[in-house]
Amino acid sequence: MAEPHAHAAAHDDHDHKPHGWRRWVFATNHKDIGTMYLVLSCTMFFIGGIAAECIRLELFRPGLQFFDPQFFNSLTTMHGLIMIFGAIMPAFVGLANWMVPMQVGAPDMALPRLNNFSFWILPFAFTLLIGSFFVPGGAPAGGWTMYPPLILQTGAAFPMLIFSVHLMGMSSILGAINVIVTIMNMRAPGMTLLRMPLFVWSWLITAYLLIAVMPVLAGAVTMLLTDHFFGTTFFTAAGGGDPVMFQHIFWFFGHPEVYIMILPAFGIISEIIPTFSRKPLFGYEAMVYAVASIAFLSFIVWAHHMFTVGMPLAAQLFFMLSTMLIAIPTGVKVFNWTATMWKGSLSFEPPMLFALAFLFLFSIGGFSGLMLAMVPADYQYQDTYFVFAHFHYVLVTGALFSIIAAVYYWLPKWTGHMYDMKLGTWHFWLSAIFVNVLFFPQHFLGLAGMPRRIPDYAVQFTDWNMVSSIGAFGFGLSQLLFPYLIIKCIRAGRAAGNRAWEGAHGLEWELPSPPPFHSWTTPPSDAVIARGAAH
Amino acid sequence: MDVAPLSIEIRPNCSLTVRGARLLFASACVMPFGMGGFLALKGFWPILPFAGLEMLLLAWALKVSLERRFHSQTITVTESNVSVESRQRLGTERVVFPRHWAQVKLRRPAASLHPSRLTIESHGRQCELGSFLTEEERRGLARRLARAIGRVNESPSWP
Ligand SMILES: [Cu+2]
Repeated sequence: MAEPHAHAAAHDDHDHKPHGWRRWVFATNHKDIGTMYLVLSCTMFFIGGIAAECIRLELFRPGLQFFDPQFFNSLTTMHGLIMIFGAIMPAFVGLANWMVPMQVGAPDMALPRLNNFSFWILPFAFTLLIGSFFVPGGAPAGGWTMYPPLILQTGAAFPMLIFSVHLMGMSSILGAINVIVTIMNMRAPGMTLLRMPLFVWSWLITAYLLIAVMPVLAGAVTMLLTDHFFGTTFFTAAGGGDPVMFQHIFWFFGHPEVYIMILPAFGIISEIIPTFSRKPLFGYEAMVYAVASIAFLSFIVWAHHMFTVGMPLAAQLFFMLSTMLIAIPTGVKVFNWTATMWKGSLSFEPPMLFALAFLFLFSIGGFSGLMLAMVPADYQYQDTYFVFAHFHYVLVTGALFSIIAAVYYWLPKWTGHMYDMKLGTWHFWLSAIFVNVLFFPQHFLGLAGMPRRIPDYAVQFTDWNMVSSIGAFGFGLSQLLFPYLIIKCIRAGRAAGNRAWEGAHGLEWELPSPPPFHSWTTPPSDAVIARGAAH
Repeated sequence: MDVAPLSIEIRPNCSLTVRGARLLFASACVMPFGMGGFLALKGFWPILPFAGLEMLLLAWALKVSLERRFHSQTITVTESNVSVESRQRLGTERVVFPRHWAQVKLRRPAASLHPSRLTIESHGRQCELGSFLTEEERRGLARRLARAIGRVNESPSWP
């Protein structure tokens, strides 16, 4: 039979134009939805970033220069909520949408319409949340942790806050359910659990954590709502309730939530380091077990956020020791990443640079976490800038850097183009330097006793605050390079090929993406067909 | 010359068994209901209904996804016909095309990131094949079908 004949018969040249906005509103394709998540995340990152820059602007000098204290507190609260629920979480969900089906050999996510719904909840949630700036009483100012009774004093924004948290939680739950079902039910034959890439593993465990704790958050904020509007007294001491119980419940959600924001990062780093070391990951199974045990431990450490509320000594000891236990699986991971690089043939493209920065700087955040875990020391550190420094090392140089690394790693796969390596390297060095200028001095400020969430401070803190603010301006400006680089890469660039990085392994690198229709020249092997097509 | 009918059966892959799904569901219930129940005993009951709602949703999602195991399509190419039998859990649908007029078309996606669509068409009727396959699997199938059906298209013989 003539080959060209079959080719012509199978080929249809009718072009259907993408149907504009409908493509996105009714999107069910995992790549489209992943893209929307990432775009939303980037947008929210810059909005949250503007809040952060305003905070650092006010703190550049002692005294009140730009904002009144109430608005300053709104800025810190909204910065936290927007960055956590708007920037970091959607970015990881977007990465999962893009990569999980490709990495497990599935055609799409398990529940494409649910996937559409879980994304489109978010724009409404954030419109509501950001809209609260414009209602009487201003945006919520009681801190992202929403502790009562303070948060109950929020003005007209209060129900908006609660409802938007509900929506964000719902979106996370739907996303998590979709990820779990996809990973469990849509794996290609031969893709056993212990052959899954670590990004998939880390997301499976993350989704488990999300399902475990999201109802707790939903219930907690609902009780705030009923306390405020319907006369219940869950957290009101005057009616027999217990405000400290809110802290317990919140952090029972909150600590696993912190790990929800870092476990996928572990997965990403475990993909990138082997690629650019041109060696397989050291201790794959140990990595899986380490992630699982970190997830398990996250349920029994919550009270380390509230040592100073007054707890029995035994409880303080328990939470101190369980917290310190986390250092063990985390140490295993850091050791294995380092061992992966050992005697590897390293190269330093932007994804690897960000992954290496993650390794160093996340470890700094880990160590300051250990310091905070010590009860007697924590009495000093509690509510100071030391805590800020700690969790920004974890969430900025940890979670955010891993997201940037992931984008640099998979961008050629998504667009089919290589990006501007030189610009990416510039982006890395500017980010890595300024982020330390920004956050490292906050350790000193905290140890010297500067409290968090204040618009003004005593003059002896001036120098390091100025340094920190300069770091913030530099860091913020250098992030503008990132969307510029991405847009440039989408528009044009050297063709990336299937395997953009020579050291990359895994199913996603076997596929041409975006699929080039006109270069359909080699027939797929029967082995590929046999996977699902022939029975 | 008689050619044995060619039959290709395609089905989506289901890596989860029903038993596995039950286990997964049970283990996912432990934390939400455990913590929700404990706090309800302490008087903080509003967590429990959310846990229940969430688990209902997970159960629904697992059930919907497990339906995949009942789906399949059988394409049979005989000397005179191309038939496609699509099975779902409830009911089977069968479409028959005259072989000489049947065309296999791999339709290019509307957007470059979307999957292709494979159809058999004839006389304005069409039937989509393998929407549940991965891109490479579908392309492989397209190629096989084009070859199988194309071979007979050459056949009108001179008496
Ligand atoms: Cu914690």
